[in-house]
Amino acid sequence: MKTVGEFLAHAIALEEESAVRFDELADALEVHHNNDVTELFRKMAHYSRLHLAEAKEMTLGVDVPHIKPWDFEWPDEEAPETPEMEGTHYMMTPYHALALALESERRGQSFYQGLADNHENDKLREMAKEFAEEEGEHVKLLSEMITRYPPPKEGWDEDMDPPNVAD
Amino acid sequence: MDMLTAEKLTAQDYRSDLKPVWCPGCGDYAVIAAIAKALAELQLPREDVAFVSGIGCSSRIPAYSAVYGFHGVHGRALPIATGLKMARPDMTVLVAGGDGDGFSIGGNHFMHACRRNADLTYIVMDNSVYGMTKGQASPTTEPDWEGSKLTPDGTHITPFQPLEIALSAGASFISRAFSGKPAELTRQICEGVNHKGFSLIHVLSPCVTFRPEQRAYKDKVHEEWRPTADRTEAFQKLMADDGFATGILYQGTKPPFRPEMGVPATIAEIEAQFAV
Amino acid sequence: MAISSVSIALTGSGGAGVMTAGQVLLDAAAKAGLYGLMAKSLGPQIRGGESAALLRISNEPVQSSDDTYDLLMAVDWGNIERFAAELPLSKDSVIICDPAQGPVPELMLTANPRVVNVPLKELAASLEGGRVNMVGLGLIAELIGLPESSIVDILAAALKKKGPEALEASKAGLRAGQKAAQSITGIVKLSPPGPSTTERWSINGNEATGLGALKGGVRFVAAYPITPATEILEWLAPQLPKVGGCLIQAEDELASINQIIGGSFGGVPALTATSGPGLALMSEALGLAVASETPLLVCNVMRGGPSTGIPTKSEQVDLNIALYGMHGDAPHIVTAPNSISDCVFTAQWSVYLAEAMQAPVILLSDQAMGQSKAIIDKPADLGFIGERLAAEANVENYQRYAVTASGISPMAVPGTPGGMYTADGLEHSPRGTPSTQASHHQEQLDKRLRKLTDFDYGDHWGDIEGDSETAIITWGSITDPTREAIDRLADEGVSVKLISIRLLAPALPDKFSAALKGVKRAMVVEQNHSRQFHTYLRGVYDLPADTITYHRPGPVAIRPSEIVEAVKAWNKGA
Repeated sequence: MKTVGEFLAHAIALEEESAVRFDELADALEVHHNNDVTELFRKMAHYSRLHLAEAKEMTLGVDVPHIKPWDFEWPDEEAPETPEMEGTHYMMTPYHALALALESERRGQSFYQGLADNHENDKLREMAKEFAEEEGEHVKLLSEMITRYPPPKEGWDEDMDPPNVAD
Repeated sequence: MDMLTAEKLTAQDYRSDLKPVWCPGCGDYAVIAAIAKALAELQLPREDVAFVSGIGCSSRIPAYSAVYGFHGVHGRALPIATGLKMARPDMTVLVAGGDGDGFSIGGNHFMHACRRNADLTYIVMDNSVYGMTKGQASPTTEPDWEGSKLTPDGTHITPFQPLEIALSAGASFISRAFSGKPAELTRQICEGVNHKGFSLIHVLSPCVTFRPEQRAYKDKVHEEWRPTADRTEAFQKLMADDGFATGILYQGTKPPFRPEMGVPATIAEIEAQFAV
Repeated sequence: MAISSVSIALTGSGGAGVMTAGQVLLDAAAKAGLYGLMAKSLGPQIRGGESAALLRISNEPVQSSDDTYDLLMAVDWGNIERFAAELPLSKDSVIICDPAQGPVPELMLTANPRVVNVPLKELAASLEGGRVNMVGLGLIAELIGLPESSIVDILAAALKKKGPEALEASKAGLRAGQKAAQSITGIVKLSPPGPSTTERWSINGNEATGLGALKGGVRFVAAYPITPATEILEWLAPQLPKVGGCLIQAEDELASINQIIGGSFGGVPALTATSGPGLALMSEALGLAVASETPLLVCNVMRGGPSTGIPTKSEQVDLNIALYGMHGDAPHIVTAPNSISDCVFTAQWSVYLAEAMQAPVILLSDQAMGQSKAIIDKPADLGFIGERLAAEANVENYQRYAVTASGISPMAVPGTPGGMYTADGLEHSPRGTPSTQASHHQEQLDKRLRKLTDFDYGDHWGDIEGDSETAIITWGSITDPTREAIDRLADEGVSVKLISIRLLAPALPDKFSAALKGVKRAMVVEQNHSRQFHTYLRGVYDLPADTITYHRPGPVAIRPSEIVEAVKAWNKGA
């Protein structure tokens, strides 16, 4: 990643992937009638979309290149702020959901912070700093939120009924 | 084309409004996301793409996509897709399914689809278990897996090797990906769709309900393969495979199967052969 | 009026070439302006087995076998016991055989036919490149009064590639046969045919079925070979590319049926052909075609069953599986051509029905029609072309399985913008999304049935001929011998109405009642052991209280005299 345009392409993808994934998680939990977690994930998707809109606004007058899905320079397998699908469970609690979200926000923050600290492009560094600070706010917010939910007791995933047979 | 041009189709444009019934945590979520991304990357008009499947968890995919779809019967996705492609060569035809659907009940079609090398992209979500019927052993299950009531002492049957079979039978594009590495999966799907011929994309896609130990796949997979057109080399790689190597194993140049076109004739001209 | 015709059986084994001789004889008869029919009876060997060419030649159209053979020419008697039952003779029959092949087997002499010895092999051996079948051909042509020129014309075309010597050798054989015929008297020669006014065709039922399907619009075929249906597929293979279509060979019947579902989903009218065991394998996918409302045509050419049964012989035994072979409530269409000539129409009409109603059609032909070649008048073309109700592009809230008054819903052909839907074998909502709701199941079941029962099938439902208080109800290839039996009974002053049903399913009670108007008693005629047709009719229609059946299994063809005798016995109250 060299240019501001490339940076913005990453920022947009990061927020978009996050929004899409949170929605997907919300859908999955909704189908499994876990309403509390569904609601939380929908909220997260909403915030990601707000940030996406902000990132898109910043592209005015900037040449944002198309990057192939596999050519993004993420530190990990996916865009950093994308909550892990495998971190979900149909009986998961709001605590789990917030922990998952918190983790993704932390990854996002650290992604931007890394660029803010090390990138050679001044403008890009400045932007990354701004994004990192915003992610920091989210981390703070979520860290506070999670304290309002009790950590799950052992056996939270116990289901008395056996799995269902479909097709 | 500019990424932000309004007319451009996004990955979400390739998704229907139906919510998947898969268990939260299932690898198939990542697969459908990768498929949608790949289609967006290729910018294929939705009406020119068809998605065919059989029966099983992963076979629900067509209904979750916003392209034309056919959700057929168990094991017969490949014949339906082959028929569609032969009758409508202008369509881009994707096929999806699981290891039971594709390698057990549909095993014969799998072999012959590889042989025929029609221009199809076959995405198999392999979790080594029958999920929709509550967790029985599939053709790719380890012989000593004791998790099923149907085979409580394990199957003691040698697991099916889809890539070896595909290479032997004549598939011209063979790759393996892991649902937990969606970027590579997306790349393989794009390559597979662009490839002219039968493409097998074998996706390790964990079943969190019946095979929770498959969550460890992410520590086992290793990027290994770069495409070769040399079958000997590809076979050698497969002989050394631990089942978790990923990448494009083989990409050959055999032209895809297409029936020959004929010299046009009218029905009256055809009927003339019967005249006394 | 009873038909005047001559029936000839040519038998031989070990590569004697009787099939070729039979084919040349039929073609030559056609060339001479006559009509005719040639059936085949073959042993299980791939080459060199015992075989019989069974011909009937007439100056009127004939599409079924006569009661007995006027002439039986046996080049040899190899394994004759296996198919002696298919070679009925009378005291007026003449057996022409080669004394070098041993005495005439006893079982061929039970009707006390006349036996004429001709040293066929010796005559052939005396000629340079002489062949037994050509000697036999010359002999028979002379006996029945077929002009030599018509045979030579056919041979010249057939032997074009082999050069003039081959033709000369064959001609010498013919002449040796003609000479041998001089000493044989008492065979009625065919009267010369009247001037032909219509174009005539030489075609077998399988070719006719293939042609009808092509005319109906079929452009995609998936094929898996099975006796006796393969010729439909083999005929279509080179024809389809000429009209922009194609045929592919599948790995099995599970594949072939699903491939045509795929092709038809793509908007291309599609067909496969099979026989009983193959149809059994296809039944799951036929249920899918019903549920997903995918039009297609399966031409099932019936043979003796169950299991591998008697693959080379005819029997009307797949009616049950065609009607009831599917799982779930699966309304579909079953049709049956009732003559070789009708195979063209019924196949064409079946494509039309499948496309119009977006449903699978099973067409039931049989080995007797499929593998018999007939000289027929060119069948009339009623212009049925398959056309489905297509969805327009970008319809708002498009619903593939919309519940409509007719039960037929517009189908979006892939490639239509805005029409994207997923065809599904799972029960679904009108939009096509999987559903377990009782109301969706009910309304989709209703619609899938309604579209078939409310459709206007016109007069093609069945062939209804004559008027009488007595009716014969039949179907398929048994129609022609029945028609001939009814003609003979009429000559004797016994009138019988013919009801031959072309549309077997769905049942149309109003049409059936209309056909039975004035009928007080009925005989159901069919060729199978368990009277499948009669059982079906009893299930779906009101039959006269006085209804009897005449049925028996194959492999021997049902001949007109059997039906005549059955009616007479019935009339006597036997």
